[in-house]
Amino acid sequence: MELLHNLAVGFGVALTPANLLFALGGALIGTLIGVLPGIGPIATIAMLLPLTFHLEPTSGLIMLAGIFYGAQYGGSTTAILVNLPGETSSVVTCIDGHQMARQGRAGAALAVAALASFFAGCVATMLIATFAPPLTKVGQSFGAPEYFSLMVLGLIAAVVLAHGSVIKAIAMIVLGLLLGLVGTDGNTGGTRFTFGIIELTDGIDIATLAIGIFGLGEIITNLTQPPETRALIAKKITRLWPTREDFHRAWPAVLRGTALGSVLGVLPGGGATLSAFAAYALEKRSSKHPAQFGRGAVEGVAGPESANNAGAQTSFIPMLTLGIPGNAVMALMIGALTIHGIQPGPQIMSERPGMFWGMIASMWIGNLMLVIINLPLIGMWVQLLKVPYRFLYLAILLFCGIGVYTVSNSAAAVLLAAFFGVLGYVFTRLECEPAPMILGFVLGPLMEENLRRAMRISSGDPAIFVERPISLGLLIAALALCVLVALPAIRSKREEAFQE
Amino acid sequence: MSVGGEQNDFPHPFWRMLARRDVLAGLLFIGVAVLGLWLSRDYPIGTALRMGTGYVPRLLCWLLLGLGAVVLVQGLREAQDARPLSSSDVSALRPVIFVTASLVIFGLSIERLGLIISILLLIGVGAVAARGLRPFETIAAAVVLIILSWGIFILGLGLTIPVWPEW
Repeated sequence: MELLHNLAVGFGVALTPANLLFALGGALIGTLIGVLPGIGPIATIAMLLPLTFHLEPTSGLIMLAGIFYGAQYGGSTTAILVNLPGETSSVVTCIDGHQMARQGRAGAALAVAALASFFAGCVATMLIATFAPPLTKVGQSFGAPEYFSLMVLGLIAAVVLAHGSVIKAIAMIVLGLLLGLVGTDGNTGGTRFTFGIIELTDGIDIATLAIGIFGLGEIITNLTQPPETRALIAKKITRLWPTREDFHRAWPAVLRGTALGSVLGVLPGGGATLSAFAAYALEKRSSKHPAQFGRGAVEGVAGPESANNAGAQTSFIPMLTLGIPGNAVMALMIGALTIHGIQPGPQIMSERPGMFWGMIASMWIGNLMLVIINLPLIGMWVQLLKVPYRFLYLAILLFCGIGVYTVSNSAAAVLLAAFFGVLGYVFTRLECEPAPMILGFVLGPLMEENLRRAMRISSGDPAIFVERPISLGLLIAALALCVLVALPAIRSKREEAFQE
Repeated sequence: MSVGGEQNDFPHPFWRMLARRDVLAGLLFIGVAVLGLWLSRDYPIGTALRMGTGYVPRLLCWLLLGLGAVVLVQGLREAQDARPLSSSDVSALRPVIFVTASLVIFGLSIERLGLIISILLLIGVGAVAARGLRPFETIAAAVVLIILSWGIFILGLGLTIPVWPEW
């Protein structure tokens, strides 16, 4: 069995003491920032991105991945106990999870959330291991025109599935593509948009941009809002294990949530948040007693929690196999690879099997660690919720500053990040989602390169994109998505879906 | 905040129209696109076969200009006073200024004054951004954070950041 052999290679890498430690570290940091409202996995990964430069690439990726799926576990704790989403992906967990807690069943809700997440994490890990090799083969058969069209489709799909105005999101992508072009043009040697600043001739570093837009922008946005009151459920959590009835009702919901999350996670723009929302809607609609939803239905916790974890993990598939980021976190992962000079794409699996399979194996190990971190140690995480945001933001601010400085040991990067922080805040206020911009930023240079290659193949004839069947198919899919969103009937349906 | 209060923030209809999110977003995109086109005016464009430095950037700028115009028109055609920005958005300047300033000062001081002093400056200026942070709390936070970052970045990761000022 090739799969077993590959997994054996992976566990060999993931089970080394150093990598176990980094998986644990990532899981711990992920849980921490998942529990704390006001800081999310994107900002955290951005801040830690410069540090991964000092690590082995595999260890760095294992840690960053741990932060991402760890945050999905931690986010549910806050949602259940405080009725505040620690992460956007646990918004729906608040609805029924917090009601369960108020009925004195906080322990059961937490256990269901953790076990559902663990189950989903195991399934998603297996899915990645199964589907990555064939997808990689597809990716390897692609030429420059196909790759260009695939990136177009990826970007468009990411926008359609995200919430908010589609036109604004496409504009944000174009803005990101432009930012990605800042610096020296590798083909002609000419500099672009550098304003004569020497530090910009190497281009904008992804860590600088992400720390500014997500880290600092988030701080400013949080500080402009009045401090939220955190009504912690004061009762001691006595009974952790769910009842037999809970298991009986949660089990099918977990299966449905895992399936839905796994599918939605692979799609560009999908991932944890969309999966959780969709799973809640599905559970509510398919339930025999929908009136219980909103009053502490265990399915309302089990479904979304399994879906967000499955979605978080399967969103690694397009990034690992094709080098196409489906969401902002994956864009940062690609950034982590390029820091080490590793070109993301289908060649990674054959060139660096240890890294590829090691990371996948570490996800399963990390999920196991997370159940252990979350269930018995729940009291410790709850204590952290008592730290007010006014302390937290000072620490985040400082780590942003040091993080940016260490990217290239340059003061100019810190000033640039400060500028992007203001920009990030402005975008939030104008309801322009910054995530598509990061996707565009990562893909900008790659798209230009593939466009140039495609034009060289066709002697400058743009018809090559519609003459090649695969490329044509990808472009038609992208166009179809645009048309679908523009149709009034679908549009209202889409808004409805995000309203829920 | 009452709805009536928000409407009084921008009494003139022109400003009220300008304060709509989509109008501002559209203007922002158009502004960036125009700036990009102006900056790239001398970049060689080349042909589709041999693309010059300016080919793709100028293409993207025109695309952004078009998208910005669509967003702007959408904003102008929205129902009267739909979701305008309010005065609470303007009073948010305090965190914007002090968060940015703290980072700028940190960036300018870290190489000359070293890690310890630049952390003190960052915390000092950054603490003004939030309301309700007491002086004692700020000092305590600064001490904890200095020890923490020294431990992580200097001791743990061995980064070559100067710790003290260079005389």
